[in-house]
Amino acid sequence: MASGNMKDIKRRVKSVESTMQITKAMELVASSKLRKAKQKAEDARPFFEAQYELMCKIAGETEGFSTVFTRRREIKNRLFIVVAGDRGMAGGYNTNILKLVQQAHENDKVKPKIIAIGKKAVEYYKKHGYDVVAEYPGLAENIKTADAADISMLAIDMFTRGEVDEIQIFYTQFISALTQTATQMGIVPVNPPVGTAVPVSKAGTTYDPSPEAVFNRVIPKLVASIVMCAVIESYASEQGARRTAMENATDNAEEMIGTLSLLYNRARQEKITNELNEIVSGANAL
Amino acid sequence: MTPFRLRILTPEGVKFDGDAEMITVRTTVGDKGILARHEPYVAALGIGQAKVRINGEAKIAAVSSGSIEVGKECTTLLAQSFEWADEIDLKRAERAQQLAEENIQRYKNDERKLDIAEYKLKRAINRINVASLKK
Repeated sequence: MASGNMKDIKRRVKSVESTMQITKAMELVASSKLRKAKQKAEDARPFFEAQYELMCKIAGETEGFSTVFTRRREIKNRLFIVVAGDRGMAGGYNTNILKLVQQAHENDKVKPKIIAIGKKAVEYYKKHGYDVVAEYPGLAENIKTADAADISMLAIDMFTRGEVDEIQIFYTQFISALTQTATQMGIVPVNPPVGTAVPVSKAGTTYDPSPEAVFNRVIPKLVASIVMCAVIESYASEQGARRTAMENATDNAEEMIGTLSLLYNRARQEKITNELNEIVSGANAL
Repeated sequence: MTPFRLRILTPEGVKFDGDAEMITVRTTVGDKGILARHEPYVAALGIGQAKVRINGEAKIAAVSSGSIEVGKECTTLLAQSFEWADEIDLKRAERAQQLAEENIQRYKNDERKLDIAEYKLKRAINRINVASLKK
């Protein structure tokens, strides 16, 4: 009985050890990828922020100007661009973003159309019967400007043709290696952010050739950079989330191995004591 | 000449942030030169060259699509790509040109792919021009 128990424990220790090896390796891979991804995210941020500011500035300070991108219209169909991961094992990374999307359209009559970036998003929305307009699995690790431009062109095209009345993007903001937040952001129609819409330079910024022309040219580029940045940020977040998850898994495995070896030693001692007892009582009987 | 603060930003990072004396860019409506104390101005950029004068020294770069904004404190150039002449990989640009030319032949009937190929060809030619200008 005791020896059977010992074998069981030994087998479990072995299995936990091999799991730990895997989680440890994944942790290392994630942290090296995280370093690169973080750098990339930080490089892209100033560009992205400046461009967003510019868009809001044009929309905010030019009154009485209207393009298809600022005009309000009744929102019937929505397009969601959802950025999730290509792999699991990243803690709550994928679930959090999918949950946020779920909350965002809970009260809608019509399911939103989806542009899915990342294998996990593609799988989820196809399985649940959404209208997946385009899918980009395996894009996040090495996204190129041209890919982002593609996505932007597709989305903008749907918007200008009136197939959708609103475009939103869902991604995971990278705050630090330990904190990542699932975020929802409206792209078009453009809302000049409340408060900043003060027409500061009514003094007259010159738009060459006209505000509308500049705006209409800048918007597709802007959407492309939003997509690009969102994907870069999400990718960094994914690596961060995975690293944390794997670190925890490794710690847990270590703890489990500790407990199991304690049990093992106890069982071993018990067995020895039993054997001694048997020998002694056998000798006495003689 | 009076310097002014110029920022050049791309998705790959900050290309330049500091004082410059002049910048010339190709907007969608033509070339435009900007000096210090220019009026507030915004324009979209096409594919073309940018000349920047920093400390009396003129530098040339290849720009592909973006925008320029002249504000009170700062002039900001936002570009999908911005490469100084000495950063351009001429061989790569020549390869890109060749590939784009082939694609234009190949995708004659596919309007979207044709557009992309044409855009890439323009960009490659621009890069080659800029790279050869520095010599």
